[in-house]
Amino acid sequence: MEALLIILFPFTAFLLVGLFGRRLGDLTSAIIAVLGSALSFLFSIPALLKALNSPFSVKLYDFISLGSYTLTLGLYFDPLSAITTSLVCLVSTMIFIYSIGYMENLFGQWTYKFYAYLSFFLFSMLLIVLSDNLLGMFFGWEGVGLASYLLIGYFHQQKYATNSALEAFVMNRIGDWLFLFGIFSIFYLFGNLNLLDIFSKVKEIDPNLLGLAVLLLFGGAVGKSGQVPLHTWLPNAMAGPTPVSALLHSSTMVAAGVYMVARLYPVFESAPQGLKVVALIGGLTALFASLAATSHTDIKKIIAFSTMSQLGLMFLALGIGDKNSAMFHLTTHAFFKALLFLSAGSIIHAFHHHARDIYGVGGLKKNMPITYATFFVGALALAGIFPFAGFWSKDLIIASSYEADFGLGVFVSFVSFLTAYYIFREGFVMFYGPERHKGHFEEEPHEAPSVMLVPMVVLAIGSTVVGFFEGWYMTALKDHKEMHLNIAISSVVIALLGIGLAYLVFVKRVLDPEKLYQSLKPVHTTFKEQFFTERLYHKGLARGYMDLSRGLFLVGDRFLIDGFINLLNFLYFRVVKFLWIKLDIYTVDLFVNGVAKFSFRFGRRASLIQTGLLNNYVAFLLFGLVVLLGIIIYFMG
Amino acid sequence: MKIEVAYILISIFLFLSGLFGVIIRKNLITLLVSTELMLNGVNLGLVSMDKMVGGVEGQVFALFMLTVAAAEVAVGLGLVVAIFRLRGYEGSSEITQLRD
Repeated sequence: MEALLIILFPFTAFLLVGLFGRRLGDLTSAIIAVLGSALSFLFSIPALLKALNSPFSVKLYDFISLGSYTLTLGLYFDPLSAITTSLVCLVSTMIFIYSIGYMENLFGQWTYKFYAYLSFFLFSMLLIVLSDNLLGMFFGWEGVGLASYLLIGYFHQQKYATNSALEAFVMNRIGDWLFLFGIFSIFYLFGNLNLLDIFSKVKEIDPNLLGLAVLLLFGGAVGKSGQVPLHTWLPNAMAGPTPVSALLHSSTMVAAGVYMVARLYPVFESAPQGLKVVALIGGLTALFASLAATSHTDIKKIIAFSTMSQLGLMFLALGIGDKNSAMFHLTTHAFFKALLFLSAGSIIHAFHHHARDIYGVGGLKKNMPITYATFFVGALALAGIFPFAGFWSKDLIIASSYEADFGLGVFVSFVSFLTAYYIFREGFVMFYGPERHKGHFEEEPHEAPSVMLVPMVVLAIGSTVVGFFEGWYMTALKDHKEMHLNIAISSVVIALLGIGLAYLVFVKRVLDPEKLYQSLKPVHTTFKEQFFTERLYHKGLARGYMDLSRGLFLVGDRFLIDGFINLLNFLYFRVVKFLWIKLDIYTVDLFVNGVAKFSFRFGRRASLIQTGLLNNYVAFLLFGLVVLLGIIIYFMG
Repeated sequence: MKIEVAYILISIFLFLSGLFGVIIRKNLITLLVSTELMLNGVNLGLVSMDKMVGGVEGQVFALFMLTVAAAEVAVGLGLVVAIFRLRGYEGSSEITQLRD
């Protein structure tokens, strides 16, 4: 039952901070969030050790009965989910600690909300990872979407941030829609949502129908992991605070897509046509995002594109049937991507959150030596240089793709060449060269406080050593791969070539970058604008949709509905006015006034017989008596 | 034509002449006299009817009416004298206070 605590700690932290954060204060809230995450990590280790021996499930309760089938919510621990849980908790803990330093200048401005969201983010991700059924996974999936929306738009005074948050939410919604229908189709095909039951029955289902379900599920992964064509939210999500970017890109949000495909891999495996689509989308995104990263100049967006590209590689590996390499790359990637983001955040922090462009800073090597070191550890790991983490995992993917197809191998090698080039381009521009920030900023950039540096160093150590766990990881997932020495050497050489190119251009200036920029401007713009997809979405689809809505509003609402209503209004007034004149004035009023006038006049006349003369009264008496007697005689006689 | 019918006709004549006297004449004393004329016309009618049908109730009633008429004349004359003394009126056209 202590396995349940893993998921409850972040949730408790979320509730505590969310409900009482204002009274607790921002620093206490931060510490509670860190504790929730760290305790989850501690409790995930015994669960991991237990799961390595034998996978086990924790049943929580019967959630809902669907016809003959009762859906039981529960957690499932096997090596895949247990290792991912530990990884997510460890990286999140580091990022949470880092965020104390990063957000310090905002303390006192309701920053506890930030920590509540972070804890909720972690909780949702753990729910995705550990859930033993698709519905539980979907809960986490939506929770992650919500938390990312709240965190990307955390600086909600800025229009840009709220727009980015909205974009992320809408893009994810498209993916979630597909994912939901994937779950429906899985339930339709299997009559079950429990993962283990699905895996045991997967061979009995028609692969064509399964292919459709798999494509729908993959649609969800595309949205969540920022793959083409639902990718534009990912670079724009950089509007959030840097710890959020780090969390989003390393362990929580985008990893969910890859993890989901890996989790449901038996299902995907049984639908080979679906896997081809996964590979195609992955490969496309890998190339697309690396090209965009080579030309972008935003500190964080370059790293964001790099994430897209690495996730594309993971999907490619999943698509060609190498699930374990993909998951191992996800693990190592979490370390060095978090590290890169935290280092970038350290630079942004040094400039008091005003630095955005890599050409706005320069020569930071002497001011920020530790950040310099950690950034380059991350960059080396990303580029795949021995012995850093990326080398081991990326090498597996490269080897698998060469096994699958030689052309595919060349393609992946080219992507890793680009990867090495763009990340070192960013590093060289920021840490070498002239101090471009001179004159724009009054203070000298300073090294970050130790509360930020310690997580960075821990992650740097992780990025260095985690690759050596490859053998252990593969044994845990019951897989074994031979190292291909020639592929390993060639991929390191390719990465070194990329680094060398970046070095020559941006440090030695053998080719002048500005002249190069001028001559390659159209290509540069194309890459930077992500082949104009973002512009197409924003200007074409979004604005087209807005224009369509506005047009429909004018035609449908203003013209048809309002016109109809106004016509009714007009007619009603006409009819009512007619009735008023005819009925009220000419009939009722005339009658009432007539009665009044008649009574008035008649009274005037009638009062004249009231003379007061005794003789008259006697005459009336006589008249009355005669009439009465006449009546009596007439009727009685 | 029986003699009783002549009595009835005389009584109707007496009653009507009293009634017209009340309607037409203005002098208060004349009014009182006319009222007496009406009463006696009715008395004559009652007694004549008794004679015709051979009963006695009409004659008893006539006796009552004589008594009432005597009392009425006493009160009426008293009122007329009082009004004359108080206001100086002697004609009914001057007494129109009933209207107010």
